[in-house]
Amino acid sequence: MEDCLAKKMEITVSEAEKRTGRNAMNIQETYTAYLIETRAVESQNEGQCAPVESLWRRYSEFELLRNYLSVTYPHIVVPPLPEKRADFVWHKLSADNMDPDFVERRRIGLENFLLRVASHPVLCQDKIFYAFLMQEGGWKEMVNETGFQLKADSRLKALNATFRVKSPDKRFTELKHYSDELQSVISHLLRVRARVADRLYGVYKVHGNYGRVFSEWSAIEKEMGDGLQSAGHHMDVYAASIDDILEEEEHYADQLKEYLFYAEALRAVCRKHELMQYDLEMAAQDLTSKKQQCEELATGTVRTFSLKGMTSKLFGQETPEQREAKIKVLEEQIQEGEEQLKSKNLEGRDFVKSAWADIERFKEQKNHDLKEALISYAVMQISMCKKGIQVWTNAKECFSKM
Amino acid sequence: AAGAPKPLPSSGPKSLREMPHPLATSSSEEMGPPLTPSPDLLLPRSIADKDLSLPNGTPVDTSSPASSSSLLNRLQLDDDLDVETRDLFVTVDDPKKHVCTMETYITYRVTTKTTRAEFDLPEYSVRRRYQDFDWLRNKLEESQPTHLIPPLPEKFVVKGVVDRFSEEFVETRRKALDKFLKRITDHPVLSFNEHFNVFLTAKDLNAYKKQGMALLSKMGESVKYVTGGYKLRSRPLEFAAIGDYLDTFSLKLGTIDRIAQRIIKEQLEYLVELREYGPVYSTWGGLEVELSEPLEGVSACIGNCCTALEELSEDMTEDFLPVLREYILYAESMKNVLKKRDQVQAEYEAKLEAVALKREDRPKVPTDVEKCQDRVECFNADLKADMERWQNNKRQDFRQLLMGMADKNIQYYEKCLTAWESIIPLLQDKPETK
Repeated sequence: MEDCLAKKMEITVSEAEKRTGRNAMNIQETYTAYLIETRAVESQNEGQCAPVESLWRRYSEFELLRNYLSVTYPHIVVPPLPEKRADFVWHKLSADNMDPDFVERRRIGLENFLLRVASHPVLCQDKIFYAFLMQEGGWKEMVNETGFQLKADSRLKALNATFRVKSPDKRFTELKHYSDELQSVISHLLRVRARVADRLYGVYKVHGNYGRVFSEWSAIEKEMGDGLQSAGHHMDVYAASIDDILEEEEHYADQLKEYLFYAEALRAVCRKHELMQYDLEMAAQDLTSKKQQCEELATGTVRTFSLKGMTSKLFGQETPEQREAKIKVLEEQIQEGEEQLKSKNLEGRDFVKSAWADIERFKEQKNHDLKEALISYAVMQISMCKKGIQVWTNAKECFSKM
Repeated sequence: AAGAPKPLPSSGPKSLREMPHPLATSSSEEMGPPLTPSPDLLLPRSIADKDLSLPNGTPVDTSSPASSSSLLNRLQLDDDLDVETRDLFVTVDDPKKHVCTMETYITYRVTTKTTRAEFDLPEYSVRRRYQDFDWLRNKLEESQPTHLIPPLPEKFVVKGVVDRFSEEFVETRRKALDKFLKRITDHPVLSFNEHFNVFLTAKDLNAYKKQGMALLSKMGESVKYVTGGYKLRSRPLEFAAIGDYLDTFSLKLGTIDRIAQRIIKEQLEYLVELREYGPVYSTWGGLEVELSEPLEGVSACIGNCCTALEELSEDMTEDFLPVLREYILYAESMKNVLKKRDQVQAEYEAKLEAVALKREDRPKVPTDVEKCQDRVECFNADLKADMERWQNNKRQDFRQLLMGMADKNIQYYEKCLTAWESIIPLLQDKPETK
């Protein structure tokens, strides 16, 4: 198996820059551009480092890339982009897209996206993706020339299929339910986590008031003064410590968000299957009805009620020549239909096979990543507890000197 | 102009026991029949028989009765009141609920162990309710007006908001009542007060209370000296300093009380969110296969942190806030004592002025002005001694209180730390390949 791109090339989104420009409607807008840097990983023997190549892309171009990949590889669980707008924010964080913290976290998210694609055995080989990384000018045109937009399934069609498909693969039905539940539970988790962060922030910050009042109190005390004053300082340290703690936690939230969006990608694969299955069922149904029609015409028996049959009974039969012509057309259509059905079946089976392979790969990745995320979260909590113990122990010592 | 307070001509060293307390007599000019040693001054035999001298060796001038009780204060202060030298131990415990037709109330067991001669028995165990403590405090304020009487926990509780019979409330109150009695026990003058003695020993306190009322009405306002209508020109610097200190002290404590309450409120709101947060991990665990155990582990962990936080908030509410409030009440009652002192001084100065205006060629200061002077000096001395003791106790109490607060927070974080550290191995655990 060919090594994926990630192993051959270092990819980073190293910088973010505010830009102003005119958009398609010639209206001036402000946007952020991201610098993508790539460098070929040289073998040790070369000794020299390959040169760094770089180009600038904005978020909308990332979106275009992802849309292209989703349509072109519908059986793949395509890695998601970081959120477009800040969501699940707690009060201190800004919901402003231009906010430097948001931009920074987005930069990291975009880099992560590129690395995910580059390490995917199928996606990394895509030429458009490669061009995205290497070719600044004319990339958009290149993507549009693939005509991928035409291949995209309409949302409405997909919805229709969801409701009407008769016998989808059971595994996909289960997976669909799983992805729905996963989305729901991670959303809930992120929402509550934001509230928890908000409250925790409040608890820590109020302690800062102790610093001030201890200082004021120490002014009127003789023996107690020093102890109070220095304890107050520790209370200030405590209150200030929450900022870093919560900033670190945002990374955890981002990891969860990635999988929240991944659930949507999973859902998309299931939807594609439903669509294909529905398509197949419709084609099979169509074929069956045509065969039936043919039979009826040939034998003259009417097995099923049809408006045509009734009207012909009422308004007179057709001539044998007309009937012959009709049968011929139908036989041709049936031939076509059968071939189409065969290829659709094959397509369907291929899709299920390759989709399922990627789903298994995704499951393993998900289990690994989320476990790592939980471990890092636990480590963050441990660090927070240790800091708390330290501060209060220092304060206690100050109090003991009172 | 008022002359400088002169010491009374010495009538020779007398046993302190025989000297009536200057404040025990009424403000009337005539001295009534010599009273038996006032209930307010029961001195231990040991001190009365000794040749008094201060620890640094200088002989004590006992000629001025004004300094008698403060003398005792000072001597006692230099003593390290450790367990060996203590001869009186009081404890409040064992709250019990009493349901009667008219009312429901709580009584507390008050246990006394002592070797003091003033007590007939070495041990006592009585039951008292809050209003008995309240009665005691009032009696002490009346009979020892020159001393700082420790505060009681708040009397009135808003019904419906606080459950007077909840375990937490009763326990908080019990601790405060215990502290109240211990503070009196530690006081070299207050601990010898007759009412205190009766409070600790009498089987039927109500009978004594009624008797005391009758006695008081017979004697008139003998112990309570009403000094109304005199306005002090200016407080002496040292007492003004105490007044200023108490003002700022109360203010700062009030601020700390508000901050502590706010922290508890924020913590409880944080707790509400945490209680929703933990179970979501559990729900998620139900969806997963390989991640099921780690997610359940995180959920349980957060649950443990919730419990720890709940304990912290409870501790702060039950142990920290009440002590803070006690000291605010203490400061208030002390400010009142300062005002009373001002009154006594104002009366003295007014009377002195009145005498000076008469311009009589009397070298001798009239008796009632002398008495006023004594009262001022006595009050000042008692108050200063009590302030010093109070400052020392306050420092120890706050040291303990604040260290306790720090400790509780440390314990909270340690509990959380243990919880999170224990799930790391669970999270890192690789499921066995099946």
